[in-house]
Amino acid sequence: MKASALMAGLYPPAVRERWGAEISQEVAASGFRSWPDTITAAARLWLHPSDWPETLTGQTRRVLAVELFAIIAVTGLLLRATEPSATLTADVHHPVTSLWLAPIAFGIGLAVPFPSPRQVTLRHLASVLVRPLAVPALAVLAMYVSARSGLVEHPSRPAHAALVVYYWATLGLTALGLCACVARLARTATVPGTHRLCAALLLTGTGLALAAVQSLLTVVRVAPPHAGAIAVTLGLGVLAAAAISAGHDLHGTRSR
Amino acid sequence: MHSNDAQMLVLTVLANGPLHGYAINIAIEDLTGRKLGPGSLYGALARLEARELIQPAPGLAETQERHRTMRITDAGRDALRAELQQMARVSEAGLRALGISPA
Repeated sequence: MKASALMAGLYPPAVRERWGAEISQEVAASGFRSWPDTITAAARLWLHPSDWPETLTGQTRRVLAVELFAIIAVTGLLLRATEPSATLTADVHHPVTSLWLAPIAFGIGLAVPFPSPRQVTLRHLASVLVRPLAVPALAVLAMYVSARSGLVEHPSRPAHAALVVYYWATLGLTALGLCACVARLARTATVPGTHRLCAALLLTGTGLALAAVQSLLTVVRVAPPHAGAIAVTLGLGVLAAAAISAGHDLHGTRSR
Repeated sequence: MHSNDAQMLVLTVLANGPLHGYAINIAIEDLTGRKLGPGSLYGALARLEARELIQPAPGLAETQERHRTMRITDAGRDALRAELQQMARVSEAGLRALGISPA
């Protein structure tokens, strides 16, 4: 894929559908000097859903529901990248450390598109879930089988590197598959209204901000600070800011 | 460039008549001496369309598929007029403070 097409692909769907081809042409004509402006503009649009024109009614809400689940998927990958830590991961002995998950769970509950009772058939759910989750499920199964078989107990260095790449590719595919499921569900199910999505984004952002603060406190206490913990704190902070910014923008739309 | 500035420039050039994205940028270059970056230009177009200050001009579907020609709406003209009048007041006050009589 050309860099210019990739740049156009960074934009929210409504903008991409309208201007994607022209953005791609302009970026190709202007060269890499235009990349910072193009990327910054795309990021700003993602943070301001009220700036998206709508091709179809409810398009913004559908995309926002997927955006919220993408934020949660990235959070999961981020936490996994630094290994489960007692600072943030649910621990029966320290339940307070997991309180940040509560607003996120509420947010998920509010944002998930619900199929109408008429649509809740096994066939419908299968059609929604099977295609996006088939490849990740097979990848997880292959990983499980190879781990249980004992074939990879003492891998050589290249084999170890390949296994790590495979593991992360599987996690990435699973995250993408979950987002694709939400996107497919949102096409046919009742997508939450602006009010609920706004609350969901703000709750998720609050949960992530709490997690970032918890992580920051650990970074400050431990000397010397661990690079992974700093990266998690920054990552959680950025994700919290993205969710709160989008929720705040949506709140402004409702007020107008 | 600030997104509001980009939006005002787009509205200003569209006030002369419908244009497509590339032509809008050429008109902005004629007006200000420099083009907008692709992100600034198409970000401004998206925001203005979302606020219904501009809309696609009726035209050939084939042409619209390749280049969307946009035109300013009545609400867009009102918004541009209000913004330009405010800028004119600021400009007048600034020039007066510098001892230069406005043209």
